[in-house]
Amino acid sequence: MSLLSPLFLLGLLGIALPIWLHRLQTHATEREKFSSIMFMEQSQQRIHIRRKLKYLLLMALRILFLLMLVLAFTRPVFFVAPQGLVSENTTHHVIVMDTSFSMREGNSFEQAQTEAEAILAAMAPDDIASLYIASGSVETINPATADPAVIRASLGNLEPDVGRLDFGAMIASLDTLIESSQANFVIHFISDYQQSAQAVRFADMIPDVINGRPVNLEIHQVKIDDVPNWSLASIDVTGLREIRVGVVNNSEDAQSAEKSFTLSVNELEQQTVTQTVSAPAGGIAYITIDNVQFEDGDNRLDISMSPNDSLADDDRRHGVFDNSPPAPVILLSADPDSLAITYISTALETAPRGYEVELQNISDFDPRILQRYPWIIIDDIGAVNDILAQELRAYVDGGGAILALTGERSANQQTVPVGGQNISGGLGFSRNTTYSVQRVNSSHPALDRSVGWNNLNISRVVPVEAGENDNVLISLTNDVPFLLEQTIGLGRFLLLNTQLDNIWSDLPVKPLFVGFMAEAARHLSNEEQLVREQVVNSFLQLGQNGGASGQVYDPEGNRLLSLADTTQAQNILLNETGFYRISTLGGDVLVAVNPDPRESNLTLMEAQALQNWQNMVATSAGAVTVVDGEAVSVVDEEPVALEVWRVLLVLLAVIVLSESLLGNRYLRFNTGSS
Amino acid sequence: MIELGKTDNKSKPTRLLDPGVLSSLSNLELVAKSVVEGFVLGLHRSPKYGFSQEFVEYRPYTEGDDPRHIDWNVYSRTDKTFIKLFKGETNSHLMLLLDTSASMGFGSGNTSKLQYGKYLAASLAYLSSRQHDAIGTMVFNNEIVEFRPPTSRSGTLHSVIHALDKAEAVQGTSLEKPFTRFREHVKKRGLVAVISDFYCRPEDLQESVQPLSSHGQDVILFHLLDPGEMSPQIKESTLYEDMETGEAIEVSPVFMKQDYPDRVKAHIAAIQKAAQGMNADYVLLDTSQPLDRALHAYLTFREKRS
Repeated sequence: MSLLSPLFLLGLLGIALPIWLHRLQTHATEREKFSSIMFMEQSQQRIHIRRKLKYLLLMALRILFLLMLVLAFTRPVFFVAPQGLVSENTTHHVIVMDTSFSMREGNSFEQAQTEAEAILAAMAPDDIASLYIASGSVETINPATADPAVIRASLGNLEPDVGRLDFGAMIASLDTLIESSQANFVIHFISDYQQSAQAVRFADMIPDVINGRPVNLEIHQVKIDDVPNWSLASIDVTGLREIRVGVVNNSEDAQSAEKSFTLSVNELEQQTVTQTVSAPAGGIAYITIDNVQFEDGDNRLDISMSPNDSLADDDRRHGVFDNSPPAPVILLSADPDSLAITYISTALETAPRGYEVELQNISDFDPRILQRYPWIIIDDIGAVNDILAQELRAYVDGGGAILALTGERSANQQTVPVGGQNISGGLGFSRNTTYSVQRVNSSHPALDRSVGWNNLNISRVVPVEAGENDNVLISLTNDVPFLLEQTIGLGRFLLLNTQLDNIWSDLPVKPLFVGFMAEAARHLSNEEQLVREQVVNSFLQLGQNGGASGQVYDPEGNRLLSLADTTQAQNILLNETGFYRISTLGGDVLVAVNPDPRESNLTLMEAQALQNWQNMVATSAGAVTVVDGEAVSVVDEEPVALEVWRVLLVLLAVIVLSESLLGNRYLRFNTGSS
Repeated sequence: MIELGKTDNKSKPTRLLDPGVLSSLSNLELVAKSVVEGFVLGLHRSPKYGFSQEFVEYRPYTEGDDPRHIDWNVYSRTDKTFIKLFKGETNSHLMLLLDTSASMGFGSGNTSKLQYGKYLAASLAYLSSRQHDAIGTMVFNNEIVEFRPPTSRSGTLHSVIHALDKAEAVQGTSLEKPFTRFREHVKKRGLVAVISDFYCRPEDLQESVQPLSSHGQDVILFHLLDPGEMSPQIKESTLYEDMETGEAIEVSPVFMKQDYPDRVKAHIAAIQKAAQGMNADYVLLDTSQPLDRALHAYLTFREKRS
């Protein structure tokens, strides 16, 4: 709770209570009238002053009590800078350990630990050191300490992770972490110095210098094995039972090697393929694995390559293949032989998700089967009679969705069946007039991936008037809605104001048509679109449309979200390799996470580049002018958070005791005088 | 001197003389009458004090005498006016000086010093009236509040008692002004009874009263003190406020127990010594004690001075 919190300020009003009480109780010392004081002598003890002091002391104790009580509830924390660590000659050794994925190569990390030990051993008695790890992010392991043993103990517990290091990001993070430092500090960066980790702008790798203190960058490069590193870069399902695996040659020369590839599907090893792979420097080679047995739904694909090279962890790759059958969708039509049916069916069947279109004649349709389908298509909403319209509205109201098109039958209606939009009489088209799209709401999920709407040529539309509950997504030049959406109960009614027969408009033959149908289908069927393969330290975005995101399990099977979080949109940091499982009401979805392929490239920075970096850091430090000498005396360590509520409790106890004693004494005094 | 707190065995006070009982009487004249009658009854017709109506002698009528006392039989025979004197009667004047300063308002019991002083003055006036003495009064504090020169005319007693009755305890005490005024207006020799708590310097008292004695006045000082003034009992340090000056002083119980009584006694002794120095009688009165002691003292004083 802040000191400006309303609760705190309200609590402070309690101080008025003792003040008020003492105002009531404090009265002038009672005088006793006497005939003459000519024979009296002033007492040495000024009792009324003493009594007044007692009153004031008692009131002060009570005010203090309330103040401490209110203050204790705020749980105040004082940040105390530890004294005595830093002197003018102190050097702060900032040890930064590269724990990125590439440090798993050979014994790179053991070398790094040994190097850090050597730095600690070489520390002067007045020096201090701090330990940071750098990978996908920079973390403080040990704040500044004069005791090397503390850091030495932490070093033994470190190990490389699966993240990717970027030197620019690392320096920026270090700038923040050591911003308060005003000692002479040396950044000891222990890494393999991959070229791929270099920042795009070299200047981003130069640390800012604070308060003019000298900065030095010490390069500590570990040695890596000079052997070619092969890595698995991709897994693609290229046929019904065929998988293609991409193998990358990360060396600087063309390489050829015999490798065995073992495929596991859903953690069951299926087959091993041994093949000689050849690839140019940095090139990729593909191998194909046939006769793969997939299960329905998401399949976990694991490919491992052997024999392993020095960086064995990138010889394995995870992938996900969605082998779900095409989702069924009803296409209601009054004219099953129309060209529109062909366009619609083709577009949906070729969508990434895959839909199986079930064509039904609208006059023979039995609405009782509607509940089997998450969404349906109607090629001319005007062909729906009143009875069916009521059934369809109830279907939408209960959570179903309809993609409805207009047609010549719609033009003869007064209102749009199901949606209820008014139609202002007659066919609103002219064979001699062409409409174009005026405005597109590209933020809508059904439209956010499709472009080219402005190139449409529309010759016929039904003059539909958008109602209050309608969200016009695409409007034409005459303000007639071309695409509108209405939310009915729990479901959606999406009205496309055209006929997909290449006569009313050229939409069916435009490239955006298939994409639009796929997005509209995904939107109407409430399917989330997830990137099923991601790299470490990327984010998994869930519930972008405001729906529930579901529970997320990491590769070890741990829940990542609390129950409350599962109902909100979430960004999940994928910081482990393996399979993340997103469990929703619609079923489980898998996301495969692999290391960043750039970490597999063990091409190192040039020695000259390293030297330049070191020199630029030193030059940057020397160019800064020391403003004054006061900076030297400032301490250099993470401030220690000191919780003072315990102290406040002790003070409270003392105050209560004092108040009781004083109050008791005061009461006794009153009794005596009466 | 009559010591404070002691009772004369020869004249045990009757119930009517008790100040506590007197305070329940609203009429000062009734108080005076009750006191004097009760006192006289207690005297058992003592010839010493001459309250019998036994004829002693005639004396010529002089100005100021009550004409009612003229013996008209003698006048018819001799054409001269004579006053018929009885045993115990004198031809003296009694002037009652009552201090009504604020300090006289103090009283630890039911009766304040001022009330007690009023009772005393009224009783003395009544007593003197019975003996046909001319009586007058001066009520004073810093200023002269009421002044009635001595006279033996009828109604004097009532006017004197009335003047006493309406006196209130206010302001401080200054003896110089009333006594100077007294000297200016009362030339005839007589008895002067000063009733006060004498919270003043003995030197000032002597300086004020001495001229009266020098002019032949017989002065008796009735020093009234409340028991609470003699030995105040306090348990805690107390802030006392002077009733006359309003000044406050904080005193400790130790001081009030050990030193204060000695200082009061020293003051009494000094007042008494001053009285002796100016040939005046001094009577210390405890306001919790009956009035008969004061009346005895007065009669003794009167007898002595007549």
